[in-house]
Amino acid sequence: MAGGGDGGDGARARQHVFLLPEYFKDASKKAKSGLMIVKLVNPCTGEGAMYLFNMYLQQLFEIKVFKEKHHSWFINQSVQSGGLLHFATPMDPLFLLLHYFIKADKEGKFQPLDQVVVDDTFPNCILLLKLRELEKLLPHVTEEKEIGNKKYYKYSKEKTLKWLGKKVNQTVAALKNNNVNVSAHVQSTAFFSSCQTSNDKEEDYIRYAHGLISDYIPKELSDDLSKYLKLPETPPPLSAPPSKVAAQRRKRDK
Amino acid sequence: MDSSDERAVEKQRVHIRPDTLRDAAPGTLHLLPCEIPASRPAPVDCFFTPALRQGAHGLEASFRGRSLRGEEVTVPPGLVGYVMVMEEEGEVSGRTPYFPRAGREPEQRELAEAPEALERDFDRFMGATASFSGFTLWGLETLPGPDAKVRGALTWPSLAAAIHAQVPED
Repeated sequence: MAGGGDGGDGARARQHVFLLPEYFKDASKKAKSGLMIVKLVNPCTGEGAMYLFNMYLQQLFEIKVFKEKHHSWFINQSVQSGGLLHFATPMDPLFLLLHYFIKADKEGKFQPLDQVVVDDTFPNCILLLKLRELEKLLPHVTEEKEIGNKKYYKYSKEKTLKWLGKKVNQTVAALKNNNVNVSAHVQSTAFFSSCQTSNDKEEDYIRYAHGLISDYIPKELSDDLSKYLKLPETPPPLSAPPSKVAAQRRKRDK
Repeated sequence: MDSSDERAVEKQRVHIRPDTLRDAAPGTLHLLPCEIPASRPAPVDCFFTPALRQGAHGLEASFRGRSLRGEEVTVPPGLVGYVMVMEEEGEVSGRTPYFPRAGREPEQRELAEAPEALERDFDRFMGATASFSGFTLWGLETLPGPDAKVRGALTWPSLAAAIHAQVPED
């Protein structure tokens, strides 16, 4: 840092608190640009979001920021306002590729990968093409054709839903392992009808996992996934107006 | 990231210097239950640290006359905490300058440098100034407890691993 008089805390520049995978430390000494943060599309909202590439290992990470009102850091001999905590966690690149395949699908034809992943707003998307074992991943969400050593791909909704279904299952397992409380809905139905709780439990895990996955796919696909998982179309709202609850009860009692 | 850093990332790549991750010295971090609007050096070891006490219900301290209760929080397994600082633009870092040097024709530049090299000219660099494996989480008058939002956030990495793990083939 330019100042140097602040005891090495670099307190004059803004400090960012990050949690990074431990093995980033072993990044090669030679290359200068192996770890980089870029802005790419958020596949759910279509807006910009921050991602981290580890080019040594050809891996993609998502950066999420913890932010709560009224927090600040003391970092050694300095204060940093905001109290933000940045997480870099592994990201399945297929969610981002899917965004481009769905967009390209409007043309309805087989295309090579480098013609699908094109983005004027987020030109750094070309980094996605350098990720490891991409060709192995693509069959989860696309049909492919090989013509003269070159591969051509086309979005397959059917395969994508199957793939997302598996994602939901493995997320349900993790929710159970981590004892994540998914029971808000259980409690509310338990309040109105005591006989349904045990059946609802599994469904609540699936709905919660569906919600987590839906943060990575467009709304339309999320709705299709909901149907694929056979989740009831509109979950009972947590604060249903009394008249509606009474109506539901009457229906159930029949 | 604040808004100026957001802009930096907008069109550029922000590179993390890998050597700083290896060399970052352990730092001491406290997450306080109040917003301090300024970001600047502060004599933490003069005023805050000497007032820390191990009470019956966790750590005790005070800040601006208010009583705080604190507990240690560890970084989730497999992760390391880092304090990162963006290097100033124009700081000497062994990269080519942002603006093309005078006397060089644009055509010549295009010939001399591949598109990717040109892109690199817009890049910025970030380095770790400290590392940590845990920090002290402070609550106002009572312990933050297991329901503290930051504790919830710290379970995110294990959930993210499941969401983003590759699914088995049929």
